[in-house]
Amino acid sequence: MKRFAFIGVLLFGAVLLYSSFSFPPLGDPHAPANRHVSDDYIRDGMKETAVPNLVTAVLADYRGYDTMFEATVILAAGIACFFLLRRYRRKPAQHRLYRHIDTGVILIIEQGGKEPVDSKEFERIDYHWVPFDLVVNKAAGLMVPFLQLFALYVIFHGHHSPGGGFQGGVIFGATVILLAISRDLRSTTRLFPERTSAFLSSAGLFIYAGTGFACLLLGSNLLDYSALARLLAVDPVMARSHGILLVEIGVGMAVSAIMIWIYYNLASAGRYDEGL
Amino acid sequence: MGVISFVLLLGGLVFYAGGSVGIIRFPDVYSRLHPAGKLDTMGLFMTMSGMALYVLSDWSISALLTALKIMLIVVFIFITSPTATHAMADAGMRAGLVHWSRK
Repeated sequence: MKRFAFIGVLLFGAVLLYSSFSFPPLGDPHAPANRHVSDDYIRDGMKETAVPNLVTAVLADYRGYDTMFEATVILAAGIACFFLLRRYRRKPAQHRLYRHIDTGVILIIEQGGKEPVDSKEFERIDYHWVPFDLVVNKAAGLMVPFLQLFALYVIFHGHHSPGGGFQGGVIFGATVILLAISRDLRSTTRLFPERTSAFLSSAGLFIYAGTGFACLLLGSNLLDYSALARLLAVDPVMARSHGILLVEIGVGMAVSAIMIWIYYNLASAGRYDEGL
Repeated sequence: MGVISFVLLLGGLVFYAGGSVGIIRFPDVYSRLHPAGKLDTMGLFMTMSGMALYVLSDWSISALLTALKIMLIVVFIFITSPTATHAMADAGMRAGLVHWSRK
């Protein structure tokens, strides 16, 4: 099976390499990209979409189809990680470590021993003993709300400044990963369960594709947001701006959830019990 | 105002230069963390306040807002940088890394 996969990868790579020869050379003035497309974007971009940040306009509107499949690729990566790594069978029982919170005394409970109830007095700690560090813990907890606010700002201000769904989503995912690093994986999966990350990642992509298909249902082309003008009660130019915002929200949700999902799977080798 | 911000920027650069030399020249991890921490705190504080003063030199409300944002960078770095230094030193101690000493 592995050999067939290897041959498939080789063949696919050969096809990609072969097709790369038919690209126009770099900086060719007669290449399609240099003939009229860029000039059109620069001249008419602001007029047609009411988005001052040209990069966002090109990414989410003019080349929205491309971006939709970029988000799909990320979702596919997350799902592939899940299928490859996730293990539901429990690890064979070994001894567990518990810390008495007030004194810091560590209890090692051998296999079959009576475990303390997870209460206010004891907390379970990782097998690869992660030391309790008040400074790191509190500093991370202090920073996370600001970081999440900044992530939302990057997503929603993508029309006017550098940013957008991908960048903001990655920042948001990094905040949850920061929590997981500074505390432990179990408490983080209680805050942000695997189920939530799986749901949000598909829901984000659904928002993107749904916006595109809503345009189709309203009698326009796929991802031509000006068709949403009647639905949003604005003129077609502003409708394109709002459509870009909807799409960016979808991308942000999907990317942040997939970042977290991939981290969970990689950090705990698919077991979700112990890890960084 | 311009002169003060110039002096502050220059002072910050002196700290940055010292910190960079220290990171390269000091003998082991723990002592290298020391100039790294200095560089982040004093160097950053001086350069950022220099920039904030420069922005404020033609006064308006939006300039004030920009200056406040620049100072917010300092606040957040003041929280995170010592934490990172602490975590690295702590990890080194727990991993059993022996500190450097003159023989």
